[in-house]
Amino acid sequence: MDISLVDRAATTGVSALHRTAPAAKLAATALVLGAVIVSTNVLVVATIAMGLFSVVLGQRLKWLPLLVLSLYPGIFAALYAFAAWTGGLWASLIVFKAVTSALAVLLLMFTTPYPQVFAPIQRLMPAVIGDSLLMTYRSLFLLLEKFSHTLTAARLRAGVVGVNPIKSAATVTRSLGGVLLYSIDLSQRTHDIMHLRGYDGRLVVSPMPSASVGVDRFVVVLAAAVAAFALAWRIWFPVLNPYAWLPLAASAAVLVIVAAARLLKGDSA
Amino acid sequence: MSHIHIPDGILPLWLVALGWVIIVGWIALATKMASAEELRRRVPLVGAMAALMLVGMTTEIIPIAYHVNLTVLAGILLGPWLSVITALVVNVMLALVGHGGTTVIGLNSVVIALEMVVGWALFGQLVRLLGRRRAGMSAAIATVLALALSTTLLVAIVAAGGAPATGRESGAFDPTTLSFHNPFGGGVVANVIATKEQPAAVPVLSVTRFATMVYALGSIGWLLEALIIAQIVGFIARVRPGLVFEGAPAQPVRAPLGDEGVHH
Repeated sequence: MDISLVDRAATTGVSALHRTAPAAKLAATALVLGAVIVSTNVLVVATIAMGLFSVVLGQRLKWLPLLVLSLYPGIFAALYAFAAWTGGLWASLIVFKAVTSALAVLLLMFTTPYPQVFAPIQRLMPAVIGDSLLMTYRSLFLLLEKFSHTLTAARLRAGVVGVNPIKSAATVTRSLGGVLLYSIDLSQRTHDIMHLRGYDGRLVVSPMPSASVGVDRFVVVLAAAVAAFALAWRIWFPVLNPYAWLPLAASAAVLVIVAAARLLKGDSA
Repeated sequence: MSHIHIPDGILPLWLVALGWVIIVGWIALATKMASAEELRRRVPLVGAMAALMLVGMTTEIIPIAYHVNLTVLAGILLGPWLSVITALVVNVMLALVGHGGTTVIGLNSVVIALEMVVGWALFGQLVRLLGRRRAGMSAAIATVLALALSTTLLVAIVAAGGAPATGRESGAFDPTTLSFHNPFGGGVVANVIATKEQPAAVPVLSVTRFATMVYALGSIGWLLEALIIAQIVGFIARVRPGLVFEGAPAQPVRAPLGDEGVHH
C-alpha cells in the first residue's frame, strides 16, 4: 500500500479527470459505487469494471499500481466467497464487486488530492474528524519520510538483514519506536503552529475550481447512466440476464481499443 | 493478518447501516467526553497517531509480507475516546486507497475502535497486575487478546450478515436466467451457463469455514503484532514512561514560546 504514490498521481497528474471539479467526481464515484452494490449479475459488474479501467487507460493514469491496489479487497472477498461457496459464478460476483468498488474509489483518489476529497467530508462530519483527517494527511508524508530514513539507518547499523524475518521485524520495530517518539513531538510542534496561526477548531479547505462545467456534467451523467444500467438489470433481471454478455462485449471492445491506443503512443504502466 | 477489512457490496444494507449508527454514536459520546478546547488541542495528536498507524500498514516485514497495524499501541497511547476518533480517521484514509470498503467504513471502524479500546483497557489492568517493569509483556498479552476479540467481532459481523445479500434479497442471481443469448438471431452465441435442470443454488454461509480461515491466518498475525508492540512499548516505557503509563493525552501541551501564562 503506497499512499505517497496515490498522492503523487493526484497532485501531479494533468488528465481531464484531474481538472474536473472534485464535487462532480465524488458524486460520480458515489453513483458507480451504488451501481456495483445493487448489481447481482457478475457480467454487469465486470462490464462496470472494464468501463472504469478503460477510463484509467484513456486518461493515461498509472494503471499498474491502481490495478494492484484495487485487487487487494479481492483477498477478503475471496475468503468470504470461499466460506459461502455455491459455485464459481457466485464467488466471482463477490470478488468482482469488491475489486470494482475499490477501482472506482481509486480512480477518484488517483485524480483528486486528498484535501479536496476531505473538504465535503468535513461539512458532513464533526469538525474534529475533518480536521483530524487533514492533520493525518499532513503528518503522513512527514512520518513516511522520517520512517524511511530511520529504517535505512537501522538497516545499515544491523548489517545485511536479507530475508531473515526476525531480523527484519527487529529493524522495523526499532525504526517504528523512533518514529513514534518523533510523531509525538511533531504533534506538539503542529499544535504550536496551529495555535500561533489562530486555529479555532475548524480547518478550511478551499474547493478546487472547475476547469470546465461541461466536463463536470458529462462525468456525472456518465456515472448516472452506469447506475441506471445496473439498476435496470437488477429490476428486470429475468428479461435482461440472457443478454448480459452484450454490454460486457461492448465494454471489452472499448477496453481493447483504448489499450491499443495507449500502447501505440508508447505509454508505460 | 490480524484484522481484515470488509469490502463493499458483500454485507446486507441493514448491517452496513448499523455499523454507521454505532460509530456515529460512539464518536458523539467521545466528543462529549472531551471539552471542545481539549479536542482542539489533541487534533494534531490524533493526526500523528493515525498517520503512524498508516505508516505501519505501509511497511512489510520481508519475506512474509505481514504489515503491522499498531492499533493496540495507538490505543494505549491515546486512551479510549481519542482512539475511536482515530479508528474512524484511519478507516476513511484506508478506504480511499481501496483497503476496505467505503460503505462499510462504519463497521470497519467499530472493529478497529474495539481493538484499540480493549487493548488500552487490558494494558492498564495488566500493568497494575504485573508491574511497570513488565510493560512489554503486558502490551503483548493485551495485543493478542484485543486482536482475538476484534477478529471474533469480525466473524460475528459476517455471521450476522448470514447468507450473502446478493443471493437472498432478490434472487436476481439465478443461474437459470444467466445465459449468453443472441438477441439478433437464432442463438449464434448460445453458450448457456446453467440450464433449467440445474436448480438455482442458494448461497449458505459457512461461518465455521470462514472462522477457521480467519483464525488460522489471524493467529499468526496476532503473535507477530504482539512481539512488535511489546518491543516498542518496552522501548517507550524506558525512554518516556509517561506516554505509556499515563497516555499521550495526559502529557501537558506546552504553550508556544512567548505565549506562556496566556490562558485561552
